[in-house]
Amino acid sequence: MTKVVVMDKDESILACIVGPTGPEQRRLANKVMEEALQQAGLSFDEIDYVIATGYGRINVPFADRQITELTCHARGVASFFPTVRTAIDIGGQDAKGLKINDGKLVDFVMNDKCAAGTGRFLEVMADTLGLKLENFGSTSLKSTSKVKISSTCTIFAQQEVISRLSEGASLEDILAGLHDAIAGRVARMVQRLKVEPDVVLTGGVAKNIGVVKAMKENLGCEVLVPKDPLLSGAIGAAILGKELTLKALAKGEPVLKKERRLEEVTFFK
Amino acid sequence: MAWYMGIDIGSVTSKGVIIKDGELLAYHLVPSGSNYRAAAEEVKQELLARVGLSLEDIANTIATGYGAGNVPFASQQLADIICSARGINNIFPSARALIDVGGQYSQVIRIDEQGRVTNFVVSEKCAAGSGRFLQVIANVLRIDLKDIGPLSLMSRNPVTFTTGCAVFGESEAITRVSEGFSKEDILAGVHKSLADKISALVSRVGPEEQYAISGGGGVDIGLIKSIEEKLQVQLLVPPQPQIMAALGAALMARGQEVLIY
Repeated sequence: MTKVVVMDKDESILACIVGPTGPEQRRLANKVMEEALQQAGLSFDEIDYVIATGYGRINVPFADRQITELTCHARGVASFFPTVRTAIDIGGQDAKGLKINDGKLVDFVMNDKCAAGTGRFLEVMADTLGLKLENFGSTSLKSTSKVKISSTCTIFAQQEVISRLSEGASLEDILAGLHDAIAGRVARMVQRLKVEPDVVLTGGVAKNIGVVKAMKENLGCEVLVPKDPLLSGAIGAAILGKELTLKALAKGEPVLKKERRLEEVTFFK
Repeated sequence: MAWYMGIDIGSVTSKGVIIKDGELLAYHLVPSGSNYRAAAEEVKQELLARVGLSLEDIANTIATGYGAGNVPFASQQLADIICSARGINNIFPSARALIDVGGQYSQVIRIDEQGRVTNFVVSEKCAAGSGRFLQVIANVLRIDLKDIGPLSLMSRNPVTFTTGCAVFGESEAITRVSEGFSKEDILAGVHKSLADKISALVSRVGPEEQYAISGGGGVDIGLIKSIEEKLQVQLLVPPQPQIMAALGAALMARGQEVLIY
């Protein structure tokens, strides 16, 4: 997913866009930016600083600076929950655990090698079951005895789900089992950081109430979820942009900006 | 003089053989599908029809493989690792390690002079390194499994997969197609990824002099070449790599070997 946040100096959000990245958007960050500016009612010249983050941050040619998603996530999450010590982000193709102290990133763990324990796991299951991902959470809460999914591998778990269905297990119980499987896997990874409260869950998967519940059970502690769990990286980037600008101004240094032109990214020059 | 039967119900393919005096008389393969019992029955019927016998003529039958419990006419079930080792030893007595690339997982088995298992590792946690990965990619590219090997040999510039994960591999393959990579290059890339995983399994059981290959992977010439390149060895390839476990089961059914494991 591609997310854009336009923020003013008081950290109020003037515009916010969330949409699928897809192969086209990878090239067309400029189009998303235009949309955001329109929503905010601003011209591009009025933007003081642009920070790009995330997996595709190099595909934003008009950004003044690129900052890794780990730093931006940490900053964004700390802005929602200043007391956060552990942030867990489960996205569409990776999962990260961040250790945060006083709003600063101090350590992290990450999985982008295996689809199990990422949002991709649930996407594959949604395909297999012919269900909408949005309905996973609420449906799973009706479960009375969750099905144990013993395969780690997404592909093997897919077959397991089909077998359990054919044996008559209910959809609710299967979904609860799947949520437990993904939460268990992410929890084991994050435990390497020695989880300390407050724990915050972000990323698209955090919108799934079933995973949030399973995460609480697996970690044995409360798990906080921000209002817009998808936006923590973009909001963190915007805040970092503001801070960089204010710092430069306070020191009387010039703010290094690019020319404000919205163009497609070109990979080969 | 007597006939013996070995039945191997794999996760993807079911195989069976009938032997007489240690000589292979007939073999048959069918897709396992979702009803293993029916697959076992189908293999049995076809084998008996080919040699013109009835089940009463078979002195003993042993079942092996993932679905070995679904062969009611077998007297005994044995692990597929034991049977594959026994089968390959019959064809290649010099083989000291067997790389078995199955539909669901891959395994590397060390074998002694008598065809007994001395050590083994299985990749069962994950589809990476198994035939399943190839199947997923063949689906994306709309290619028949049997064409994978010859096609991949025509690759000039194999794609590099960033992870061994079959799920991520599927999306990577789709991306590479959209970037204009040829199917040959993508298939060669999958073979390299599988060879890497298999080589990791090999290093866990330790190096050997003579390697053989069995399972569905042994039918894929592209995969064989990739493994040979990665391990810097020449693989012994049996004429019917998929029936090694069934053959081993039939040999065990003959019971001339002293079974001490």
